[in-house]
Amino acid sequence: MLLQCRNITYRYPHGDALVFNDLNCRLADPGFHGLFGPSGVGKSTLARIIAGEISGFAGEIKPPATTAILYSSNTERLPGWSGVGDHLAKVTPAARLPLLQELIKAFDLGSCIDSRFSQLSLGQKNRANLTRYLLQEFDLLIMDESLANVDEAIRKQIIVTIKKMFPDKYFLYISHSVAEVSTFCARILVLRDIHKAPQLIEVAGRDHHGDTALDRTALERTMLEIVNAA
Amino acid sequence: MLPKRISQFLIIYFLGLGLLLAVKYGFSLSDYVIPGIADIQQTAAAVFGRYLRAVLDTLGVAVIGHLLAIGMATVVAIVGRPDNLIGTMIKTAAYNLQAYPIVAVAPIIFILLGDGLPSRLLIAAIICYFPLLLSFIGILTEPVASIEHFYVVTGRMRWQLEVKIRAFENIHKLITVVTGSATLAMVGTIVAEFIGADSGIGYSLRIALYQSDIAKVLVALFLIGVFNSLYLVSLELLGLFIQKRMGVEQRMTQ
Repeated sequence: MLLQCRNITYRYPHGDALVFNDLNCRLADPGFHGLFGPSGVGKSTLARIIAGEISGFAGEIKPPATTAILYSSNTERLPGWSGVGDHLAKVTPAARLPLLQELIKAFDLGSCIDSRFSQLSLGQKNRANLTRYLLQEFDLLIMDESLANVDEAIRKQIIVTIKKMFPDKYFLYISHSVAEVSTFCARILVLRDIHKAPQLIEVAGRDHHGDTALDRTALERTMLEIVNAA
Repeated sequence: MLPKRISQFLIIYFLGLGLLLAVKYGFSLSDYVIPGIADIQQTAAAVFGRYLRAVLDTLGVAVIGHLLAIGMATVVAIVGRPDNLIGTMIKTAAYNLQAYPIVAVAPIIFILLGDGLPSRLLIAAIICYFPLLLSFIGILTEPVASIEHFYVVTGRMRWQLEVKIRAFENIHKLITVVTGSATLAMVGTIVAEFIGADSGIGYSLRIALYQSDIAKVLVALFLIGVFNSLYLVSLELLGLFIQKRMGVEQRMTQ
């Protein structure tokens, strides 16, 4: 087991209201998992607590001491003083340079590799940002709306590629698309309003790898389950 | 850029001159109090060469003092950037010292260093140093989370990179602050010369004051305004060049 959150209780600094009250969750197996919930429910906050970027909460999070957890989000930017390709090459460990080339191809970044970050479209920016995180050493990568503004077809291609290239890693994908998390995620953590108990429900997703036909009935059942849970 | 700066200065200068002449003729003041246009022209012809050299002398000192201040402010802001004991001490000292009218310290500098170049240079640097320091500290202390996050979580963040990111992201502000402080450097040099130096346009102004010669003051003001505008434009052009080299997106200015 990689990650277990037990009895997490948290309120924002200078805030009175609780964000999480006695929240429990776990990620037991590697794979592409989802974190779903309505806006403002605390998905990014929970993700940053798991990544160790927010402290001051009650309860315990138990990753092994050697676990590398990275949190990436669609609000991040690459420095503007060099081209995207130069930046990616600079932050890629030498042993992973071949992987960089594969990701550039799979993420359709070839056409903008010489451009500066500010010149890219929103979708290209998110893809470039996600690429550099995938090239780092990590056990769990949290993708907070990392594929926002990316075309649906490329988004599907990226998720399938990630699942194929990193089968032993853990991913926690935050998205507002119920269809997307239902289709591609193995387990979906549905975060609910603080007044609902339990605050987090786990739903089994279809864990689609893009190589077989999707069972539409099962997918609809999963989507319904998520919507009802939220 | 240059014509705009110069024309802005000329408009203000001649408006001021017009007001002065209106007061002269409105209250029938003698040429001794406020000289007429012919007197001003005569004085300009007589002192232009000498004043031009004096202004260039002042400008040279102001530029060197400005560079010194930029260098000092950069070093101190980098050292005072971290949120530790040294950083807190430097920030507190900077905020408290900048509230003090530094020009009042000028007599001590003249007593200790004499009335030559070092005193003028030091006063020019000190006067524009604190505004620069406060801005530099503000810029270099403020994290750019959207860019820095990746380097922090992947263990790649070094102080040089942190400074580079923050400076790059605030290059427009830095250039504006540096350009704005150029006038302060010029003011500092003139004040220093006025108080106790033996050369420069500030010294010439002091002599004109003792002679109650407004015509000389007006000629000096004209030259100071023109060369100050030239210096500001040079800095703005340098700023544009740096931004272009760094690939910073140009923003509409002015």
